[in-house]
Amino acid sequence: MSAATQQPKAPVGPEAARRTGSLVRSELLRFATRRFIQVLLGLAVLGWLGAIGIGLLSFDQPTPADYAVAEAEYERVIADEEEWREECAEQAEAAGQPTDAFCGPPLTVENFLQVEPFDLGATAEVGAMGFAAAAAVLAFLVGATWIGAEWSNRSIVALLFWVPNRLKVMGAKLGVLTVAAAVIGVAAQAAWLAMAGILDAAAGSGAELPDGFWSELLAAQGRAVLLTVLIALIGFGLANLTRNTGAALGVGFVYFAVLENALRIWDPMVERWLLTRNAVSLVLPGGSEVYDYDDIDATGNPATYLISNLHGGLVVAAFAAVIVGIGAWLFARRDLH
Amino acid sequence: MPAVEMVGVSKTYRRRGGQPFRALDDLHMTVESGGVHGLLGPNGSGKTTSIRVLLGLVRPDAGAGQMRLLDRPVPAELNGVIAEVGALVETPLFSPGLSGRMNLRLLAEAAGVSRARIEECLEFVDMRDRAGDRFKGYSLGMKQRLGIAAALLKSPRLLILDEPSNGLDPAGIKDVRELVRRLGHDGRTTVLVSSHLLGEVQQMCDSVTILARGRQVASGPVAAVLSRTGSGDVRVGVPDPAGAAAVLTAAGYSVSPAPDGQVLVHGSPAPGAISRVLAEHGHYVEELVRVTPDLESAFLAITGGQA
Repeated sequence: MSAATQQPKAPVGPEAARRTGSLVRSELLRFATRRFIQVLLGLAVLGWLGAIGIGLLSFDQPTPADYAVAEAEYERVIADEEEWREECAEQAEAAGQPTDAFCGPPLTVENFLQVEPFDLGATAEVGAMGFAAAAAVLAFLVGATWIGAEWSNRSIVALLFWVPNRLKVMGAKLGVLTVAAAVIGVAAQAAWLAMAGILDAAAGSGAELPDGFWSELLAAQGRAVLLTVLIALIGFGLANLTRNTGAALGVGFVYFAVLENALRIWDPMVERWLLTRNAVSLVLPGGSEVYDYDDIDATGNPATYLISNLHGGLVVAAFAAVIVGIGAWLFARRDLH
Repeated sequence: MPAVEMVGVSKTYRRRGGQPFRALDDLHMTVESGGVHGLLGPNGSGKTTSIRVLLGLVRPDAGAGQMRLLDRPVPAELNGVIAEVGALVETPLFSPGLSGRMNLRLLAEAAGVSRARIEECLEFVDMRDRAGDRFKGYSLGMKQRLGIAAALLKSPRLLILDEPSNGLDPAGIKDVRELVRRLGHDGRTTVLVSSHLLGEVQQMCDSVTILARGRQVASGPVAAVLSRTGSGDVRVGVPDPAGAAAVLTAAGYSVSPAPDGQVLVHGSPAPGAISRVLAEHGHYVEELVRVTPDLESAFLAITGGQA
């Protein structure tokens, strides 16, 4: 080793307040340099480009020849369809319900087109839900590996030689993850809008958008961003509890694949409190409904429970708060080696 | 002003399904400011635990209110004093996929240390040329040197190094020894270094604390601790060791056999007197050496050979 450097006369001695700000900067830098996170985000971008490619191949403006084929198919089945629809209409009338609601809308030639244009109004929310799900899975992985890798190489312990306040360290990591997950959620929804715009420009149906389309879509996308953040925190919390990214993924798999299904079998109404159902209900416009088939009313219909967006959000947030909270409490109290 | 003080600190690890392990047992330790202080003890004697307790990584069962770093109580004021304490505990803890320089930068950002200081420290440990390589590609010695560079980033007044020579080749060990001595004698840094390499501690340290079973069994300047072994014996080489031993015993000396057929005379006797007594009885001395006490023998004597 060289003797090029001597210890400075005065210690660096950063002030505590300055160190707090620097800790967040340090963690942001650490997050940005984490290679596995970079790989995950890169794969997500590749997946998005692939989805655009598939969409461009799947949607197109139908030609007169496509219409001719659809017309022929329509003519072939319409007689049987009308016969069935008459019977269905009678049943609808007996049940006191509108025919279209009971039997579905009547067939048209468009139903038989093999080539479809992209219908922004009809698919925007479905696409936003799909991108929300993908972003949530990505955020779970990012959140788990963000802290899991820290435990794996114990660099979180090294950081305590610089910032001994464990809750401050944990808070900085959670803060960075929250910002990053929000960015991922916003980017995912922006990516969907961009993809929808490309498909609409290339093969759009030209149909007018329904009233309130944008307000409802943007609200759903906002809730999707919230879901992304909460799921990222759950991934972080599980990895922090198990101190291992792989173990966190395993716990997540066992919960979704085994525990939730076991609980549904044990008592179907537990569905109202399950993470999956509430995550869906948080994002889905109007929430979702759970039916209690043990509670049938006089008309033979099961009792219905609405899981609103607020209910869904609160339950998912409670999951995140408990998992992250226990992990942070243990981190603050445990001996570290 | 002591740089480190621990009074009556105890820590017991409770293992699932196993017997509790008392790592620290009413430990008292004082490290005066300046110089290099060694922390010596066999595996499980409490060296690393005492360092972890001082740095707030492990909570003591007793004595938490009676520990001080740089004259400030810890863990109560650890947040305030940590900017002046650099530490390398066991193996360096860095992100394997990042370069050495980036790993230092992540730590430096957390404390507002300048990038110029990072380069200074890399230069100091002779790692500047390899600082752009990934940490996982470093040799053990390079990892250890990077760990020392990280500990130096804060320009600490107290530098705590836990087994800094672990995994190093002889040249690396010599480098660390020189570095530690240089830091310990720069006029402002106190170095607390733990090691199981007894010779290293003897060469590096001005003072030493010896631990056994979580307790301090000896402490003070290295020379003073060495004198507690009762060494100073004289080893005598003669053609007839048995005859010489009988003569010396008859003359009132305490003797015992030494390796290589020599005789060991205990009690710090005067070599000239031994030579004269033997010569008077026809035993002519071929070799007469006062045994130099070393830390290993001191350590074994003090701890009862439990190393």
